[in-house]
Amino acid sequence: MGAYVVRRLLQSVVVVIGVTLVTFLALQAGGDPTYLFVSERASLEEIEATRRALGFDRPLHVQYLSFVGDLARGDFGQSLSYRQPAMEIVLEALPATVELTVFAMVFALLLAIPLGVLAAIHRGTAWDGSITTFSMLGQSIPSFWMGIMMILFFGLYMRLFPISGNVPFLAPLLSGDVVTAFTNLPRTIFHLVLPGIAVGTYSLARNTRLVRSSLLEVLEQDYVRTARSKGLRERRVLIHHALRNAWLPVVTIVGLEFGFLLGGVVVVETVFSYPGIGRLLFAAINQRDIPLVQAGVVLLAGIFIVLNLVVDLVYLRLDPRVKLAGGRG
Amino acid sequence: MKLRMHMPRVAAAGLLGAIALTGCAEPLEDTIVVGLSADITTFEPGMISSRDNANIARHIFASLFTLTAEGEHVPELAHTLEISDDGTSYVYTLNEGLTCHDGEPLTAEDVAYVFNRIADPANRFTGNTPGFVFTSIGFVNAEALDDLRVRVDIAQKNPIAFGLMTEVYIHCKDAYEAMTLDEAASNPVGSGSYRLASWTRGSEVVLEKVREPGNFQRIAWRIIPEASTRTAELIAGNVDIITNVVPEQVEAIDGSGRAEVQVVSGTRRMYLGFNLSDEHARMPGGDAIQDPRVRRALQYAVDVPTICRQLLSVECERATSLVNPPNGNASLTPYPYDPERAERLLDEAGWRRGANGTRFSIRLQAGQGRYVNDVNVVLAIAQYLEDVGLDIDLELMEWASVYTPLLRERQAGPLFFLGTGGGLWSPIYDMTDLAQVGSGTNYTHWDDPRWFDRWPDVVNAETPEARRVVLDEMLQVFHDDGPWLLLYFQPDFYGVSNRIAWQARRDEHVEIFEARLK
Repeated sequence: MGAYVVRRLLQSVVVVIGVTLVTFLALQAGGDPTYLFVSERASLEEIEATRRALGFDRPLHVQYLSFVGDLARGDFGQSLSYRQPAMEIVLEALPATVELTVFAMVFALLLAIPLGVLAAIHRGTAWDGSITTFSMLGQSIPSFWMGIMMILFFGLYMRLFPISGNVPFLAPLLSGDVVTAFTNLPRTIFHLVLPGIAVGTYSLARNTRLVRSSLLEVLEQDYVRTARSKGLRERRVLIHHALRNAWLPVVTIVGLEFGFLLGGVVVVETVFSYPGIGRLLFAAINQRDIPLVQAGVVLLAGIFIVLNLVVDLVYLRLDPRVKLAGGRG
Repeated sequence: MKLRMHMPRVAAAGLLGAIALTGCAEPLEDTIVVGLSADITTFEPGMISSRDNANIARHIFASLFTLTAEGEHVPELAHTLEISDDGTSYVYTLNEGLTCHDGEPLTAEDVAYVFNRIADPANRFTGNTPGFVFTSIGFVNAEALDDLRVRVDIAQKNPIAFGLMTEVYIHCKDAYEAMTLDEAASNPVGSGSYRLASWTRGSEVVLEKVREPGNFQRIAWRIIPEASTRTAELIAGNVDIITNVVPEQVEAIDGSGRAEVQVVSGTRRMYLGFNLSDEHARMPGGDAIQDPRVRRALQYAVDVPTICRQLLSVECERATSLVNPPNGNASLTPYPYDPERAERLLDEAGWRRGANGTRFSIRLQAGQGRYVNDVNVVLAIAQYLEDVGLDIDLELMEWASVYTPLLRERQAGPLFFLGTGGGLWSPIYDMTDLAQVGSGTNYTHWDDPRWFDRWPDVVNAETPEARRVVLDEMLQVFHDDGPWLLLYFQPDFYGVSNRIAWQARRDEHVEIFEARLK
C-alpha cells in the first residue's frame, strides 16, 4: 500500500503543474492585468511603468516558468494586491472555509442518511414521494438564492441568526489559543447555520437520493433475502446487511464532496460576507492577482488529491473485494 | 403531566439559548459600523488605490491640508503654505507638537521622508499617490528646511498641484524605516485621529480613536460585498452606514423605519464618448461623428432626465460639460431632449435616412457591472439613438478584463459608454482628463485646438478671474463641439441608520469624523 500511496502522490505533482498551467492561461486570457493596478487617470507611461513593476512585461512563457521555478522551491510569490506572501494569505482564509465545509457536510450527512433510509424502506409511499420531491428541489434551487432567502427570513424577519460574517474557531485553535477558540465556539456555530445550510442543501439532496437508490438496490440482493429468511429482525437486516453495503457509493461521493464543497463555496461566501478561501479567490480572480489565485488553486488541488487518495483507501477497507492497481490489496 | 427531557435535547436547547444571547448584537453606542462593498487590500500609503481602501486609510493617516465636503482645502497637519514665484516650490509649515500613533514626534523630516519614499522606484509602489498624484504634479523631491518647514519641488507650475498633494498620507519615518514593505502593508503607524486596532482580511477593519476629531471611540468597517446582504444588515440594525445601495433597494430601506437612503449627485461624469481617432474614422459611423454637427445633433436625441428618473430612481439635471457643478461654465444650459431637432440637424449634416430608415450604422461599446444600472442605461441610450435613425451595433463587455484594456489603449468606440471620476475642488481637476491630445485619459482622441491650445493660458493666468474667463471659453467649446455626448453625474446611494446623524458627500469620500448618535 505504501508504494501505491507514493506513486499516487508523485502522479499528483503532474496534476498540480497542469492545474497551475490551466489557471495561468485562463487568467492571461482575461486580458492584461496591469490596468487593474493603476489609477483610472494613469497615463500610458505610468501604465507601462506599473507593468514593468509587476513583471507583466515579460513574455508569457517566462512568467510561467519563473512561477513554476519558484513553486518548486515552495515560494508562491507575493500577492499583487495585498503585497504579502500569497500562500500566507490563502492559509489565513482556509480555516473559515474548512469550518463552513465541515458544518455543511455534517448537516448534509446527518439528515441525508435517515431521510434516504426512510424513503427506501417506505418506497412508493407519501414519505418516499415527499423526500424525493424535497431532494429534487434541494438540487434545483441555486445556493445563492437560498442564501438570500434565508437571510431575509431567518436573519431579518425572524432575527434568529446573524446575517453575515463569521466568528473564528479553527484559526485561534491552530494558533494555540484554545480558550478563545472554545469561547468562540457557540458563536461560530451560530454564524455557520445559515451559510452552512445554504452550502449543504445541495449535498443533502444528492446524498439523500444516493442513499435511497443505493439502499433500494442492496435490499433486492440475494444475501438480504437470505438474511430475512433466516428470521433476522428487519432492523438488523437493514443495519448489518443492507446499509453496510449501501455505504460504498456514498463514501465515494462524500469524500470527493468535501473537496468539491471546499472549492465551491464562492457564491455562498460572497452572499454571507464570509471571509473564506472562496471569496478570497473570487476577489483575486477579479483583481487578476495571479500569485494569489495560483496559491489558492494549488492548495485546493492538493486537498482534492489527498481526499481522493483517502477515499480510495477507505473504500479498500470497506470492500475487501477491491484491490489496488499493481498492489497486493 | 409527565415531563421527560433527554440530555441531548437539553444540551441542544442550552446551546441554542447561549448562541441566541451572543448573536445578533447591535452596534454599541461608542462604535459606528460601516458596511463597504469591496475588500481592502493594504494600508501601505504608496499602494492604496481603491476608494474604499482610501476611505479607511483617511482615518488613520492625516494629510498636510485636507478637502472638505464642499470642496475646500483646509489646513490639517500644516497651517501655512507658501508657493514660490515660479510655482515649482511648495513650502509647508507644520503645526507644532504633532506625533504619530507610536508617540514619535512628526516633523518636517518625516514629511519629506514620506514624499521621497513613495516616489522611490525601488519600492515599486503602484498606488494612487505615485501612479497619479506624483506623475500629475511632476514631483521632483522633498526636503526638510527645519523641524517644521518642508519644501516639495515639482517640475513645473501646475495650478492643481496643491490640491493633489492633499492626497498624500503622512506618517513618521522611524516606524516605517524599521518595517519591511510587507510589514508596513498591514501595520500602519499613522498620524490621523484613529489607529488600526484589528484587521481581519476579507471581513472587518476596526479603528480606535486616539485623538480628535471623531465622535466614536471605534469605527468598524465591515466588508459586505453582496448588496442585498448590506441592505439586510442595515435594516436589521447591525450596520449604521452602507455604501453602494442599489436603486431597487431604496424603497425597502426607506420603508423599514430603521434607516433611510441618502442620494447625492456624485462627481463621476457619465458620458457617451465619440472616439475620433483615424482608425475609428474608417469604421462604419466613425466618419459621421468626425463632424461636430453630427455630435451636436446626437446630444438632442437622448432624454437624460428620463433615464435618471426611470433607471436610476433620481431626478437629475443633464451635464453641460465635463466639470462638476458648481465649477462649470454658469452660462451653459443642458441640451434638451428634442428628437425632431436631432433629426433635422442630422439631415443638415448630410446624414439623411436611407431607404431602410437608417442614417448610418455605428458600434457602441460598454462595460457591464461597473456603474449604477449601467446595462439598462446603455440599452436606453442605444434605443434613443436608433429612434433618430442610427443603426446601433451594441457590444456589452466584461468590465475588468475586456473593456478596461480597450479603454486604456484608447481603442473603445466609435461610441463608448464611460464614467470618469471628478472632483469638487477645482474645474481644472475635472478638465485634466483632456490635458493633452495624447493624454491617457483622452479616450476620444479629440484634438480641437480651441481647447488644447488654451492650457498655457490656464496655467499662466495672473488672477483667478482671468483664469475663469479662459476656462469658460474652453467649456463653451466642449459643450458645443466636444467629444462627449453629455449625460449625468452618477448619483451615489448611501443607507444610513436612524440612530446616526451623518451626511454623505458628493465625492465618494466616506468620512466618519463628524458622524454622531442622534
